[in-house]
Amino acid sequence: MNAILYHGEPNGPSLAVLAAAFETGVQVALRRIDLAAGERHGGIPGAQAPELDYSVEGEGPVLVVDGVAMTDSVFLACYLDDVAGGAILRPADPYARWQVMAWCRWLVERVAPAAAYLGTAAMPPRTVPVGIANADLAERWEQAVTGRCDAALLADSRAKTAAGVTRVEAQLADGRDWLFGAIGLADFETYGWLCGMAPLAAEALVGRPRTAAWLARVKAHPSVARALALATVPEPEKVWAPGPEINRWG
Amino acid sequence: MTGRVTLYHWEPNANSGKPMLALVEKGVSFDSHYLDMLGFDHHRPAYLAINPEGTIPAMTHGGRVLTESTAIMEYVDEAFAGPPLMPADPVERWRVRWWMKFMDQWLAPSFSMIGWSVFVGPAMRQRDPAEIEAAIERIPLPERRTSWRKAVYGLFGEEEMAESRRRVALGIDLLEAELGKREWLASDGFSLADINGFNLAYGLPATRPEAVNDQQTPNLIRWLRAIYARPATRACWALGRTDMAKRLAVLEEQPA
Repeated sequence: MNAILYHGEPNGPSLAVLAAAFETGVQVALRRIDLAAGERHGGIPGAQAPELDYSVEGEGPVLVVDGVAMTDSVFLACYLDDVAGGAILRPADPYARWQVMAWCRWLVERVAPAAAYLGTAAMPPRTVPVGIANADLAERWEQAVTGRCDAALLADSRAKTAAGVTRVEAQLADGRDWLFGAIGLADFETYGWLCGMAPLAAEALVGRPRTAAWLARVKAHPSVARALALATVPEPEKVWAPGPEINRWG
Repeated sequence: MTGRVTLYHWEPNANSGKPMLALVEKGVSFDSHYLDMLGFDHHRPAYLAINPEGTIPAMTHGGRVLTESTAIMEYVDEAFAGPPLMPADPVERWRVRWWMKFMDQWLAPSFSMIGWSVFVGPAMRQRDPAEIEAAIERIPLPERRTSWRKAVYGLFGEEEMAESRRRVALGIDLLEAELGKREWLASDGFSLADINGFNLAYGLPATRPEAVNDQQTPNLIRWLRAIYARPATRACWALGRTDMAKRLAVLEEQPA
């Protein structure tokens, strides 16, 4: 198996997949690309596929396995888990697995778009890259680069981030260390999207002691620490590129 | 896990139809609990006692409650014996999940925006406004209240509708191209991606005959007919109570 992971700075979906790779021990070659410079578009040799152009995640990592370009961080982590036997990042029990997958579905649909919107509003990319096949992703780039942020969407994104943290806090209420049993997919994915929110949605984290302690535990976990050590900038949590779109239905 | 399975669902269509068809394909016996979505059955106390968020479908297995239709399908495949509905190959498993998310989160919202705008919203607005507003106020999740208000009162702008039409047209092209690569949508065998996609696209030959037909989308039509021919699909759609299920009739026709 020839596997190459094209990843950005360890933040958001890139951080989640890097941690998943290290946690599972699946051998992948690492290639850094600048997602905030649009290098996913045309910067991955031989990769032409609808799954690359129309990834709902927007600018996330790309895992190329034997010529197949794969996207969407939750499913890249599932792939790595499947290759590793299927029960390192997700529980083996079907109901417990459903809990993790339903959590991740909620996270990527509600929290991830909000985090990406706040991130690109605060740290906008410099230019719109050429060669974006997906028109709605291109529009999100245009909005981010030109600073055309909608005040209502910013407020909505802060509210969704706060709602996300509220749910994390509730999940940890029984004193557990990790979101579902052992550390895994849900922790990596949730941490990836929330770890940069302190300066962008500060009020969301006020009075959330369990979440704060969980963020610290995840950050110190060996596979996450190893992923964070790949950063080439002092604050990788401040590096953002256009992500998933905010739900068009509200 | 043992215990009875009960599925709370609306028509065999979109999100409700996904776990319905997965259960029938898998050969799992279940109690069908039909909810009239347009009558707001899913926001009444009896159902909120099952699923406090008031979303449909929901499934109970023993004493456990499961929501989120695509996640339910993966559970059904893993928790019960029967023909596997996920491929064994990890890359194919990734592709199944990718296409389900693409359809769930990118394409389906545009389908439903058009459907609500053209068909359901105008019909809902014929009802007593006070009754409708009271029903919307009972919806537990604030984001769902926003969605229902948009749908019922037709609050979609022309720009939003144009974007939805663009996505539906592009989605048809992408599905046609993908189905030109292999017999099934995301893997060499029938999978959850086909169940998901059929629930999204089965109505297209009837509602978009100018775009989805034997000449312009031969692979999409072939695929829809192949799924419709499966006994599970026939059994599942027989559970429909409205005219929605009749849109399948066009798939009875054979290529000219």
